Amino acid sequence: MHLQPDALSWLFLGILLPQVVASAVAGMRGSVTFWVFGLGMALALLAGDAFTLIFGFELMSAASWLLVLRGDERPATFYVTMAIFSGACLIPAVFLPASSVAFVLILLGTGAKAGLAPLHAWLPKAHPAPPAGVSALMSGGMVKVALYVLIRYAFIILAPAAQPWWGVVLIAAGLASVLIGALRAMLEVELKTVLACSTVEHVGLIAVGLGVALRAKAMGDETLEGLGLQAALLCIVAHALFKPLLFLGAGEVKHAVGTTSLNWLGGLVRGMPRLGGLMLLGAACMAALPLGAGFAPEFLLLHAIIGAAATGGILARLFFTAALAILGLGAALALGAAVRLFGMGFLGRPRSLQAAAADDIRGAPLMAMGLLAVLILPVALLPGLVLGTMTPVLLLLAPQAALPPLAYAPLSLAVLALLLAAALGFVLQRWGVRGTREVAGWNGGFGAPPPWLPFGDPATQPSATGLAEPVARAIGRGVLARDMADPTEAWLVAPLLQLYRRLVRLAERIRRATIRERLAFVFGALVVFLLALGLGEGG
Amino acid sequence: MLGFALGLIATLLHAALVFAAAPLVAGVVGKIRAWALGRRGAPVWQPYLQLYKLLRKSTLVPETATELFALWPVACFLATAVAMLLVPSFCTGMLTAPLGDFITLIGLFAIARAATMLGGMETGFGFGGAGAGREVLFSIFAEAALLVALLCFVLLAHGATVDGIAVAFDTQHIGISVSLGFALAALLAVALTETGRIPTDNPSGHLELAMVHEAMLLEYSGRFLLLFEYAAMLRLLLWMDLIGAIFIPFRLGQAGDVFSWPGGLLLWVLKIGAMAVVLPLFEVSTAKMRVFRVPEFLGAAMLLGFLASVFLFVAARIGS
Repeated sequence: MHLQPDALSWLFLGILLPQVVASAVAGMRGSVTFWVFGLGMALALLAGDAFTLIFGFELMSAASWLLVLRGDERPATFYVTMAIFSGACLIPAVFLPASSVAFVLILLGTGAKAGLAPLHAWLPKAHPAPPAGVSALMSGGMVKVALYVLIRYAFIILAPAAQPWWGVVLIAAGLASVLIGALRAMLEVELKTVLACSTVEHVGLIAVGLGVALRAKAMGDETLEGLGLQAALLCIVAHALFKPLLFLGAGEVKHAVGTTSLNWLGGLVRGMPRLGGLMLLGAACMAALPLGAGFAPEFLLLHAIIGAAATGGILARLFFTAALAILGLGAALALGAAVRLFGMGFLGRPRSLQAAAADDIRGAPLMAMGLLAVLILPVALLPGLVLGTMTPVLLLLAPQAALPPLAYAPLSLAVLALLLAAALGFVLQRWGVRGTREVAGWNGGFGAPPPWLPFGDPATQPSATGLAEPVARAIGRGVLARDMADPTEAWLVAPLLQLYRRLVRLAERIRRATIRERLAFVFGALVVFLLALGLGEGG
Repeated sequence: MLGFALGLIATLLHAALVFAAAPLVAGVVGKIRAWALGRRGAPVWQPYLQLYKLLRKSTLVPETATELFALWPVACFLATAVAMLLVPSFCTGMLTAPLGDFITLIGLFAIARAATMLGGMETGFGFGGAGAGREVLFSIFAEAALLVALLCFVLLAHGATVDGIAVAFDTQHIGISVSLGFALAALLAVALTETGRIPTDNPSGHLELAMVHEAMLLEYSGRFLLLFEYAAMLRLLLWMDLIGAIFIPFRLGQAGDVFSWPGGLLLWVLKIGAMAVVLPLFEVSTAKMRVFRVPEFLGAAMLLGFLASVFLFVAARIGS
């Protein structure tokens, strides 16, 4: 056991700390497994040698498996299989010399843990299973620890053997994650599954940024290297704040309403204004809207891709142009998913009595979510400053990288908006008719609902499924498998499972062989052996 | 110091002009559309009267709306208005020019769109949700097409601010190229979608089932509807400004040179006037598409944007 933290470790520890505190405050502080989970992550981040790193990483996997198992047994087996696969890739990789084989193994191992396509199918199943505090830490923290290992190996330990195609592989995997993650986030109905799918999308965005930087580093392009790394690290910081916030909020929704299905929520802002405000902030960050924490990384990333498309060979340029189109699709889908999450869950009419009677959050959960929300503000409004404090990390990862100042200035935009808001307020106050009058909604001319349905018939309200229907019809069927299942699940996991079943059946058949079959097999083997020997001698 | 003062004056003049002229542009478009259809049409100042009427009317809030009902029109208006300040109209080099990165602009459009969609879901009535679902579908392809078209401009202009692109296209000898033609087609398709015009949506439609943008505003009235309507007018002028600044940047004024302003102003009026004539003529000559044809339309725009960049790559290959 050997601990040797450097700037990169401290950055990730700094990211981890608020989530652990928030999750603990929100109700996980009594669970020993939770603290072991946190300890494993801290150990992996602080590790000075390969053994400590693997030990911490596996401790984290094992503890999180127990936590998932306690929440829901069904995805736990899938989850632990992926964790074992990840470990089986990582353990040999950390002892290999710097080479492409080591990188591929590291990428498989960390990609399986971070939910990078095509190894992401477990994530939308496993992350929503445990209690909200653990989901928050899994999405915000565990995924980041896997990315930390990827960054440490790709940029520092394996740097002498770096090849440009490493970055290209990472970008391709990231783009697939962005597209599948964002599309599924748009189509899923369970609130926590939507959030988990959005995590896949954000891991994809981070991977694209890292891939651009890795490729640029191998090719000696300082500007792109800096841009890609800035985008990836800022996205890591932002995602580690708003995703736990949203997951904790989803847990509070579950607590208050008893379900997280968007088709049974609705109108929660009325009863839960505080939770609604916090979730709106989180959703704005998730949708990468300007003045939210998610926009600056998206901005840097798009500029990095545009920069990459402006140089190099024609194939690379075509690749990056396509990447730009996919990121555009992903960004708009993420916006749609965030709007759908907030609009269906928190606006409109309640779809169930529990949703109509939900009580607002107070006490510990409010403090936990408030802490994360307060920490989001500097990242959202002063991204340049946050990037400045990350300079030691950037220099550690890429000593030659050029770090241009950020061209996106949220504070100036906010000032412009405030000036306009002041002018607007003046006009409305001076000439407008003040006040509002509450009336029955127009609703296309339909009559008022009967008195025993105070919020009208819930079935006449567009559902989350209905809202996503146009998207499902236009692109869901092209990208996803049948019944909107994950493509890797249908085309990678299902065939593997089928192969496994066939092998089991074969093994069972061999085990049940009669004595005659066994004798015939031994005799046949002897004949073949003798034939081979005879032919060999003869030749 | 003088430069700053002139920049400030130019910015304020720009703000006053665009905020005052946006309803007029909408009025001219409506008038010419009526003429093309063989009607007399409302006077061109009708949108001003319409906005004033909404300002003086009382504001109704549906019972099923939440406390955030008033937030969405304000957010939609502010995002559009801030974007309006970032796009040059008659001169380049305004104080807001460095903020006007194309991607920031796309983000501001996204805020306005998100606010409109949330406004549609606010009351939980059928048409708003249907409109929001369609808006998501359109925006997915529009955003991708816009980003790919942007790539073409950045490659040619070596800068990503709208101001920088306009200056580069004005001063450098870009020439008329196939790439720019494709990019223009892509941008026009996105502009028609974003501003909710025929063939993707009909701003003067009265059938709720076929509405997209208007369907989300059905429950709004009074001041809140005013903000949405004004934001829609601003958005139309904004896209005209954007296309004008990128594709017809010739003789744009400079903020630091007062004597170039009148020429720039005259040209701006001519540009916007020409576009305000062409748009309704195009609209009456086509029919509105089925909702599920729009992704094909925008997908074609995306491919054109892609081709624009590919031609540039090939040209760079041959040139070097």
